[in-house]
Amino acid sequence: MTTDRSFAARIRRYRLENGLILLVLENHANQTVSVSGNLRGGEYLNPPGKAELAGITASMLSKGTLRRSKLEIAEEMESSGARVGFYSNNFTLSISGQSVSHDLPLLLGTMTEELREPAFPADELEKLRQRTIAGIRENQDETGVRAYERLSQIIFPEGHPFHQLTGERTIREVEAISAEDVRRFYDNHYGPGSMILSIVGDVEAEKIRDLVERHLGDWRGPTPPPVDLPFTELQSEPHKEWISMREKANCDVVIGHASRLRRLNEDYIPAIIANRALGQSTISSRLGLVLRDEMGLTYGINSSFSESGIADGPFTIGVTVAPTNIEIAIETALKIVDDFIANGIRDEELRDEQSSLAGSFQVGLATNGAIAGQLTSVELYGLGLDYLDRYPSIIRAVTVDQVNAAIRKYLHPEVATTVIAGTFE
Amino acid sequence: MASGLFTRVTEYEGIAEYRLESNGLKVLLAEQRTAPVVALMVLYRVGSRNEAVGRTGATHLLEHMLFKGTPTYNKRKGTQIAAVLQRQGAVFNADTWVDRTRYYEMLPSDQLGLAMHLEADRMRNSLIADEDRQLEMTVVRNELERGENDPARILDERVWAMAFREHPYHHPTIGWRSDVEGIPTSQLKEFYDVYYHPNNATLFVVGDFETEATLAMIAEHFGPIPRSTHDIPPMYTVEPPQQGEVRFVLRRAGQLGVIEMAWHTPEATHADAAALSVLDRLLSAGVTSRLYQSLVETQLTVDADSNSWQFLDPGLFTIEATISPGITHEAVEQAIIATIDRLKSEPVSEKELQKIKNMIATRSIFLRDSPLGVVSELSESEAVADWKLYIDLPRRVAEVTPEDVQRVVRTYFHDDNRTVGYFIPKEEQ
Repeated sequence: MTTDRSFAARIRRYRLENGLILLVLENHANQTVSVSGNLRGGEYLNPPGKAELAGITASMLSKGTLRRSKLEIAEEMESSGARVGFYSNNFTLSISGQSVSHDLPLLLGTMTEELREPAFPADELEKLRQRTIAGIRENQDETGVRAYERLSQIIFPEGHPFHQLTGERTIREVEAISAEDVRRFYDNHYGPGSMILSIVGDVEAEKIRDLVERHLGDWRGPTPPPVDLPFTELQSEPHKEWISMREKANCDVVIGHASRLRRLNEDYIPAIIANRALGQSTISSRLGLVLRDEMGLTYGINSSFSESGIADGPFTIGVTVAPTNIEIAIETALKIVDDFIANGIRDEELRDEQSSLAGSFQVGLATNGAIAGQLTSVELYGLGLDYLDRYPSIIRAVTVDQVNAAIRKYLHPEVATTVIAGTFE
Repeated sequence: MASGLFTRVTEYEGIAEYRLESNGLKVLLAEQRTAPVVALMVLYRVGSRNEAVGRTGATHLLEHMLFKGTPTYNKRKGTQIAAVLQRQGAVFNADTWVDRTRYYEMLPSDQLGLAMHLEADRMRNSLIADEDRQLEMTVVRNELERGENDPARILDERVWAMAFREHPYHHPTIGWRSDVEGIPTSQLKEFYDVYYHPNNATLFVVGDFETEATLAMIAEHFGPIPRSTHDIPPMYTVEPPQQGEVRFVLRRAGQLGVIEMAWHTPEATHADAAALSVLDRLLSAGVTSRLYQSLVETQLTVDADSNSWQFLDPGLFTIEATISPGITHEAVEQAIIATIDRLKSEPVSEKELQKIKNMIATRSIFLRDSPLGVVSELSESEAVADWKLYIDLPRRVAEVTPEDVQRVVRTYFHDDNRTVGYFIPKEEQ
């Protein structure tokens, strides 16, 4: 029995012969278990002209297997209250599940069956296609979606995973996806070689290892190469566009530019701290304190490096306002960013953000699901099993100079693009 | 010992209820040592249900004002409430709903004292200044405008406004726009002085804490606050029977049509509440549910949802669906009615019923994974009846029979008790 309560001492990491990485953390505080995982099967692998193919393939995993129909599987899972789901991101197929601990074998059994023996029935593909298209149409009615979609087209070249096609174009491409496309995508990309599976909760690590070995140990399949995308160049000049929509009381404004920030950049943490001070929280960051608290212009204003991960995403500021307040909101937000760049973070502001980040890390790890997600992420980025133990001291070590250097390096309002979506006079 | 200042009222399923004798504050403590984190919530028994004509949205606007500060916590001193909590990495917010207003924090367990000091302080010491109200009004107005962008949300607002003529569930919690714009600060202050008192509140603490020390902390922070000198005014309006179907069309810009249907159903403490909760899950939880099968699988709709709204006073059972392109509202309505009628004529099987019972039981286990999840569920039950309602839900659900489900469908789902709203997207000019 170890008395070491560190994550490094409690996490069990196994590598199956086929390359699958399994991480298990026993937590017997309650009778639930959470599963998180991924493999390289995201949207960046879509062939040209096949938008959404990765997402549709992920959704089709739950639409029936060679052994059972969708309804038979759902009947069994829903009767136990267990769930497992697959969805695609830009870079990965993600897996997420939860059950009471004695149903974990059922959960893993279903996950394996859906992952290894999908049937991809044509009638289910047709239904999914119609729902996907209807979902896109509904989304196109949202001001925030339309503003960000346009911004992404200006910042990222077509073909880049962060470049979002227009709704109409996406619908046309979804209409053309065939059952063969889905099967081919699955055959070409899904396999255990890039798979990470994290299981946290009321379980015994050795038993879980055996169970996963039994289910997935003999799985063979392709291993797509690691993502290799060039950094996106910063725009050379500012740009502004208006998207006119009907009967919208509220407008969405998005200001942004390429960030060149990735998770593994050495100044990632200083950059994240800079953003927290500037605009992560509507009610306590610099942008929100002025635009919401002092001026009452908006219910929500945030800035973020939301996609900074495997690849470099955009830096964005998003704000919702009534049409009459668009110009003043943009002008004020940019002034605040300029001041942040010119004068940097204050000493006490950095201390507050360090304490905040450390505290929210602790609070954020309060559930099995959150811990499982963190384990998967730590493995994906190769940060090491002790990363969660080291994280608080990494945060504490950040200096004012490091944050100010990150601010100057990553924030470029002088060449930002602004897109406004809403109903204008 | 601090515990001498409290009456230990009851303990039930690991949750202890106390009453702070000096002022009548109700206290619920549940130790849960899964992570070094604690959740605290103060619930006030006041919601949009307590708002009269001209004051709609007052409860919600007041909730916003309680972040604007007290003499101790304010921006001038660099101790603004949000900043102080943010500094500790807290998850925090407040929300307003028909029967209650809640303020909560989940934060590292060594910061429990901070959250408690702050909540005790703003119970009676909030500034509620007129210049702050003017600025916060426009913030709330933007929140309202964001809601107005979504046709399904407007449809839902209209359904409640049509189904309730007399009872204040008629108006949305965020309020009518001109009320939000027009309400004077003095009326918000009056609202605060009428309802924000320890004897109209319940304090919840769930997570990693030690009971004796926490009771001492509660006594220190909340003990000095006196009980209200007035009785908390009751809300006495009763909605009369509907007596005939209500039907309307909302026509504005949008992409896909939406239908929402609603039936009046009883309050949360009613004997039929558990059966209605079962019915809700039976209709719309998961791929195997009745509405998913009759609407989504048949491609009449893109989604299908139902809700059994169980409040302090009688609420609604609602069904809403987003309609697939090329399908008429009438066809979807017929399919919904057919799904309901089948439940009237054929009792559900024991197997299907058992599935629903398992789903509800498992969900309540999952929610206990997080202290904030526990607080959230306990407080919703406390708002509409008593926190024990939440603990008892799986047991009450386990007792529901196929006949109970059939009976509630036959009792409440009749034409004269029904409101039907269509959102029809307007063609481009």
